[in-house]
This record gives sequence, structure tokens and C-alpha cells, in this order.
Amino acid sequence: MVRGSSRVVEIISKTLSEMLVCPLSKQPLRVCEKSNSLISHAIGVSFPVVDGIPCLVPRDGEIIETDSDRTTADSFDAKTDHKTAQE
Amino acid sequence: MYRPNGNCLRRFLKRSFCSAENIDSKVQIFDRHLKRKQRDRAAWLLNRKDSLVNTVADNLVDRLEDVKKTFPSALCLGGSMEAIRRSIRGRGGIEKLIMMDSSYDMVKLCKDAEKDLSSDNIETSFMVADEEFLPIKESSVDLVISCLGLHWTNDLPGAMIQSRLALKPDGLFLAAIFGGETLKELRIACTIAHMEREGGVSPRVSPLAQVRDAGNLLTRAGFTLPGVDVDEYQVRYNSALELIEHLRAMGESNALVNRIKFLKRDTALATAAVYESMFAAEDGSIPATFQVIYMTGWREHESQQKAKRRGSATVSFKDIQKEFGGQTT
Repeated sequence: MVRGSSRVVEIISKTLSEMLVCPLSKQPLRVCEKSNSLISHAIGVSFPVVDGIPCLVPRDGEIIETDSDRTTADSFDAKTDHKTAQE
Repeated sequence: MYRPNGNCLRRFLKRSFCSAENIDSKVQIFDRHLKRKQRDRAAWLLNRKDSLVNTVADNLVDRLEDVKKTFPSALCLGGSMEAIRRSIRGRGGIEKLIMMDSSYDMVKLCKDAEKDLSSDNIETSFMVADEEFLPIKESSVDLVISCLGLHWTNDLPGAMIQSRLALKPDGLFLAAIFGGETLKELRIACTIAHMEREGGVSPRVSPLAQVRDAGNLLTRAGFTLPGVDVDEYQVRYNSALELIEHLRAMGESNALVNRIKFLKRDTALATAAVYESMFAAEDGSIPATFQVIYMTGWREHESQQKAKRRGSATVSFKDIQKEFGGQTT
């Protein structure tokens, strides 16, 4: 998480990175530089950042995992952690 | 105003609402996706010299000068945020401003206009978001300001509760919305023309909050020291079509879910004719009423004044009268 927040500065402003949360779950967002998006782990949705402007309308979000992958919350968390580690 | 059971009631409302907060609102009055598209279009049509929008924005920002508090961080919700940005001009001690709208084009327009305004040293950030799903961390801004945007939300109480949660304690919520008297002439003209041409009526002008609702909304959303006031503006146009152009440029076109998706040409012309014959002024101009409701509310803080609990008085009014009433007689 700490590593994530120090990177944030590069694609969205510091003010925004300190304040933004997921619009649906109100949980913290992780910045993903590779896909240029903000990821909400709580609901498994990524929101695009276009030209430095994060787009957080629920309709703009994309579901990362398919429903069948997301059987329990625990296995989902483990999976995303694994992914983060790979990056 | 502060009835003894007011607090309990408010708490109850808050609680009962919070449990339903994340569930999709059942009643969908407005097509939010269409509104986004309309606001994209409004970004292209935007008129910076729109006197109605500028007056409302200026009036709203002017309220910041009425309070001694400064607001280092502010969030500007959708609506006429471009006008808000221009009218801040150092008022309210705003240092950081987050501008938000549901339309990407609108946000982009504001971002591009930023370089012309950089003289007042406000650090601005931009994001695209929906007022009904506010992506702001709890207790993180001192001011939430919304100029003519919230009347398009399906769940106005929900949007206001989210704004309150985003505010720091003792933060200010300041909003202007169009009220029920807005476009009453157009409402009448549309109804008459529809009845005459199509033998029936479909809503063309959206339902809007009444003044009496505004106070209830603020209380229901849990704001303290609620304040509501109303202004009515008459705008004069050369023709009814010019009025429609103006509404488009403001992004205020019809976005009802249950709207009829087309408008017959002769019905449109009949509406314009009815409007002109019923409401035109002597000089031939077409007046349109815009009622703007200004709402202010604060997030709770112990430093705020509040009414004492009923029955907590230690001195009887009779004694006071004896003490002071005796001197005057």
C-alpha cells in the first residue's frame, strides 16, 4: 500500500491521491501505472485515468475478474495480492 | 425549530438511510447517462458570458465572504463549475480545489481553461465522477460547493449525505439548485401545445425541488445550521427557440427517463407559438423564470451554537420577568 501511494504522484496529483476512494465501496484505490488506472480491490474494478483526469463514474469502471473467479472474498484478495507481487 | 425529538428523528432517518445507501435507488427519474452526454454537448456550447449562470455562481461564492472561516480545500461538484472557478477570485481562502463533473469533456474544458486563471494560486485537480457516487474520502474537504448541478440527481438526499461525509467537521456545504418555479412558462406552453397537437401530455420539463423541500433535505442529510434562500431571475429571450438554445448550452435539456424520445416538429413550433402568445412582453421578448434555491449547511462540530435541551433551563422566565420587568414599570 505504501509503495503504491508513493507512486501515485506520477499519474494523478497528490491532492487527488490523498482524497480519492472507490465511488461504490468507499475503500482506498490503488494506482496501477502499467494500465494507467485506479484499482478498487474491494469490488475488483479498475477506473481509467485519461490525460491525468481519473474517471470514477461507476459506468466507466471495468470489472477486472470474472464472476466465477470471485467466489469468496478471501480467494479474491489472495489473487490480487499475487498479481501485485508479480508486477 | 429544534423540537425535542428532532435529533432522534434525524438520527433515525440517517440510520435507516445509511443501510440503504449502497443499494441502487429504486426510483430512477433522470437518465444520468443521457445527462452526461448533454453535458458533453454543453461543454462545446458553453457561453462564458452567460449572465444567469455567472450571477448564480457569483452569488454562491459570495457567501464564503459572510463567514470568518477559511476553506483551504474545496470540492466543486458538477454543474456550472467553470463559472464557479472563475468567480472564486481569492474568496474563501481556497488553496486546493477539486473540480468534478460527470462529463469528461466538461472537466477537460475546465482543465484547459485553467492556464488563463493561474494568477490566483489555487491548486486545482480534476476528476470525472458522479455526485450520486462521490469518490471522496471521509472528512477530507472544508467546503463542498455545487452550482446548478444537484437538481439532476435521482437520489438528492443520498448525494447530500455523501457530501456531508466528505466534509471535515465544521465544513460547509453550499449548493444552488433550480427550484420548482423554474421554467413555469415553458411547462405551461408545452402542456397546452401537446394537448392541442397530440391529445395528451408527456413531461418535458423535469420535476424540481420546492423551496419547502430544501430545508427538509438539509436536515435529512444531517447538516447543522441549515439555511435556505431563494432568488428568482427573469431572463428575456428574443424567441422561444433561443430559450431552448440557452438550456442546451447550460446542459439543462430534458433528461427524464420516461420522456418521449422525439418531439414532433409541429408540436415544437406550436409550443413556441403558445409561449409567445401567452407570455411575450410588449416589446416582443420572451421571459423565462429561473428560480434558484440556495442551500447552506454545516457538518456537525461542537463549536457550533445549538439549542439547549428542553427542560435544561435553571432560571424560570417568571423570575426573569420579576427581575427585569419590575425595573421598567
